[in-house]
Amino acid sequence: MELRIGWLYPKLMSTYGDRGNVICLQKRAQWRGFDVTLVPLDRQSEAAQFATVDLIVGGGAQDRQQEIVMRDLQGAKAIALKEKLDTGTPGVFTCGSPQLLGKYYEPALGQRIEGLGVLDLETKHPGLEAPRCIGNVVFEITASPLAEDLQAQLGEPPIVIGFENHGGRTYLGNVAPLGKVIQGYGNNGQDGWEGAFHRHAIATYSHGPLLPKNPFLADWLIQKALQEKYQTAISLAPLDNTTATQARKAMFERLELSSRVKTA
Amino acid sequence: MNIFDQIRLGLAVGIAKSVTAFVKALKLGAASVLPGEISRRIHPRLLPLLFEQVKSGVILIVGTNGKTTTSLLLRTILENQGYRVTHNATGANLINGLITALLADTNLIGKLNRDYAILEVDENILPLILKDCCPRYILGLNLFRDQLDRYGEVDTISFRWQKAISPLPKDTVVVLNADDPTLAYLGQNLPQKVLFFGLNEPDLYLGEIPHAVDSIYCPSCGHLLDYKGVYLSHLGDYHCPSCGFEKSPPLLQSTEWGQILIGVYNKYNTLAAATLAQEIGIERPAIDETIKNFRAAFGRAEELTVDGKHVRILLSKNPVGMNETIRAVNDIQAKGKSSVSLIVLNDRIPDGTDVSWIWDVDTEKLVANGGTIVVSGDRVYDMALRLQYSQDKLSEAAKPLNLIIQENLEEAISTALTHTPPQETLHILPTYSAMLEVRQFLTGRKIL
Repeated sequence: MELRIGWLYPKLMSTYGDRGNVICLQKRAQWRGFDVTLVPLDRQSEAAQFATVDLIVGGGAQDRQQEIVMRDLQGAKAIALKEKLDTGTPGVFTCGSPQLLGKYYEPALGQRIEGLGVLDLETKHPGLEAPRCIGNVVFEITASPLAEDLQAQLGEPPIVIGFENHGGRTYLGNVAPLGKVIQGYGNNGQDGWEGAFHRHAIATYSHGPLLPKNPFLADWLIQKALQEKYQTAISLAPLDNTTATQARKAMFERLELSSRVKTA
Repeated sequence: MNIFDQIRLGLAVGIAKSVTAFVKALKLGAASVLPGEISRRIHPRLLPLLFEQVKSGVILIVGTNGKTTTSLLLRTILENQGYRVTHNATGANLINGLITALLADTNLIGKLNRDYAILEVDENILPLILKDCCPRYILGLNLFRDQLDRYGEVDTISFRWQKAISPLPKDTVVVLNADDPTLAYLGQNLPQKVLFFGLNEPDLYLGEIPHAVDSIYCPSCGHLLDYKGVYLSHLGDYHCPSCGFEKSPPLLQSTEWGQILIGVYNKYNTLAAATLAQEIGIERPAIDETIKNFRAAFGRAEELTVDGKHVRILLSKNPVGMNETIRAVNDIQAKGKSSVSLIVLNDRIPDGTDVSWIWDVDTEKLVANGGTIVVSGDRVYDMALRLQYSQDKLSEAAKPLNLIIQENLEEAISTALTHTPPQETLHILPTYSAMLEVRQFLTGRKIL
């Protein structure tokens, strides 16, 4: 079986180790014997390329790069990406890319940037003086059916651990949040929600190396991608997650959350 | 300086010196920041007054990587000529650190009897300093992505530099890296005298542009830059096919110069210091002599002998820096002179609290050589995870790499030393605070 991973603008949208998600998906598929092809979805790509991928990964960009992306991701490409996500192609969008999928982003300075409108969410920057939301973030996945799938697999509530660093504050409309914040700011530091979930797409402020430390998310994405592609039930061989578990445990201990969360 | 300034300066200096003595006497630390903080409250214009007293002028060194090594080389060149030089050698590069370093060399009434002051300056506070201080020289080494949890973006920083440098006196001399498009563009748009340094050695081109790259877009028009080749990160030989922006010619021919230490990045540091030293008026033979006899700053390709084993510490604090240290280690591994590395990842304030950057490092290149890698530090498991994902196979049997995870740093060092064969070099790649800890264990003394 072959897994084709579409990587949105690898050169432009890779600010905070966002490549970590791509590496994690690629290696976990390869280690299980699947063939993996990385397909860059960038300025050189035709819109038709979008239809050929089974899984989509997006990271964060600096302002100038984000502008270039927004100028390029219009028309046929925008329609193709929206079509993929609406019809259930799995995706993981971290850091700045959820803003891109939302309705619009209002920066601290300058004009409102229109998003693709795949996710019903809005992002506003409260001004240059407002502190950025920076730090380790921990949240429990609540989005259905993702939460139920993971709970069944893990035997306990799925807890995600990551790092957030964003100036913009995101407010959800008619879209499910990805999870509930246990530690950190989340979407806006007020309503307690983090990220968004649509069909099989995960959007979160937790950047780059989200998947290596939350391998159950990576496996869920791989499984869904192959099931959608081959239209058959896929069961993944288990991998040794000892190091990821140790990394999670160490951070839970530091954040004094060990009593509240198990460390599978 | 008027009499009022003189009295307040004397008071500020007196108190700062007392604080330093107090802190040192009680062994509270090295007093590299606090005296500056206190004295600045007594005299807000303290820094510009200190700048004015440096006889031949202040040299500011800015850039993401290489400040400490370049400063040390330039300082040694100057001192070998008999000049008296002040330098914030502890690496405290925010305003209070600069003041503290200058105050340490003043007499009791605040008179500073020095020919030059070499000040390493954090890239983000350069504009703040230039508001009321006049350096004689500014040396800009490079701008890479570093500690985004604290700072903004590379573009924003260079824009702020340009706004801050442009109003300075016309006789200020600015030395910049021609191979860094952002800095070349900055230099081409300054009214001051600008000298460039850079490489002209296609033999050193990398096979491809590394992933951890920031500016491959034309700083002038935003078009994708066309690279003939890259030397490291986004430093290379480039031009813009759209607006014609191109690399400025370096003053020195890099092939005609030796280099300090190891690694391509130290070629840049050497050329940067040499270009500025020549501008100051120092003769070539004297510069060459200093380059030849140069000894590393602490932790920057510094070499030690521990328990009869040869150890080299290569500070690795951001993706570009670590890619380059891995490249240097690879060269040595290829010659069969090293097979063991120790990576120490901390996430304290001076390291940056976000360790995501390790996923932008091409650790695959270190792992591909096999051998033994020991990992430690506050975020030991994050680093171990990065290395595991750098391997083609997960199963134990298929691994060419011997990966050893040790939380305790002292034990990790000891393990790494034990695994190092007698004729080989152990390479230690630590983040900043980890480097200080490693040195403390290896040398048995605290440096900061």
